[in-house]
Amino acid sequence: MKKKILIIEDDPAVVDYLTTLFEDNGYAVYSAMSAQEGINLAQKERPDLITLDLELPDEWGPRFYRKLSSDKELKNTPVIVISGLSGNKYAVSKAVASLSKPFDRAELLKIVKENID
Amino acid sequence: MFKKILFATSATNTCDHAARVAFDMAQRYNAHMDIFHVLGIPTRGYSQVVVDVTTGDEVELDDNYRDLVIEELRTYYDHQIAKTKNWSIDVAIGLPHREILRIARLMKPDIIVMGGSTRASGSYAHKKIVTGSTFQRVAKAARCPVLVINRPAASFWGGFSNVVFATDFSDAADSAFEFAFKLVKKLQCEFHLFHALDITRFQMNNFHTQDYIEDQIRKATQQLRFKYVSRLGDFKQYAMEVWEGIPFLEIVKYAREKHTDLIVMAHNTHKTEEDDASTIGSVAEQVVLRANCPVITINRSVGKQ
Repeated sequence: MKKKILIIEDDPAVVDYLTTLFEDNGYAVYSAMSAQEGINLAQKERPDLITLDLELPDEWGPRFYRKLSSDKELKNTPVIVISGLSGNKYAVSKAVASLSKPFDRAELLKIVKENID
Repeated sequence: MFKKILFATSATNTCDHAARVAFDMAQRYNAHMDIFHVLGIPTRGYSQVVVDVTTGDEVELDDNYRDLVIEELRTYYDHQIAKTKNWSIDVAIGLPHREILRIARLMKPDIIVMGGSTRASGSYAHKKIVTGSTFQRVAKAARCPVLVINRPAASFWGGFSNVVFATDFSDAADSAFEFAFKLVKKLQCEFHLFHALDITRFQMNNFHTQDYIEDQIRKATQQLRFKYVSRLGDFKQYAMEVWEGIPFLEIVKYAREKHTDLIVMAHNTHKTEEDDASTIGSVAEQVVLRANCPVITINRSVGKQ
């Protein structure tokens, strides 16, 4: 069974890019354009890994992570922060990695593999 | 709660994190925001030549120059101003902390928002182990709460919903509690009452026993109940914790662990108003430098308003 990745990102171009990248590498991909949609999808699909943008239309990434952490089933889901903001490395202290846009696809895939394969 | 916000800025990238929070507050809480910038320090009394605080250059001051700076400020924050309903820009000449305090006395804002350290940002600030002197002086004398954002990560929250009130049980902390409780009630936040038991005073090889430490924790928890919980009335969304360790680190750790989006604390808690120390107190100062969320510091005079 394919491992599931949930992309939470409001930029359609980045969503497309990540979706193609992950699908080409054998993952099942889901995407959400907002934090609320992301939480709903995470509760429904129980992803193996989440990529998280920090600046979302309805909420900031750390606040999304707080909600995720309060769900017993989801709190240990690995999260990779992908953001263009400076200081993103420290925004979600329990994230498994933080990447700045533009990011290196090989590095992202390596982190994904290390965490869910 | 926040109807008038005074955002004191150097209009450089070191204030960008503070700007993110200030503009978010203005939009979220429908507040009027005054963007305030001290453009220059006079080179000598009554001189028209000032040192521009942003560039460090000596410039001759006239209305054109003032208008130019206002326009630069408007352009610098253009993207955020576009989403803000009520705003104004003011500039002044003089020593930054005096001018910020002066306009705060006139404008009577509900809160002053500023960056933690303008000249000594990032790692340099940590090497110096001090916040910016303008912040220190404003925080010490302001008649309203001062919200400071030192790290970029502290600006990624958007609003307040989960608040830590850190106390050392001093009288100054009482003023901070009044403000924090008003805020959590008004904004319907979760409220964390937190005390850090200082164990740093112990000498090497002379640690207290664990029984002693746990007795102190129990005593502090009782004090939290007696001093603060007894004043919460019907408010039930609260939690209490006492952690032992180095106070500023425990406060920062607790806030990080609970994913809190605001820390409220008093500063200079053991000094009298007459003390002329320029620093704001080492615990508050270190929390300001290290926290992953905005920090509101409150001095004694706020509680007397």
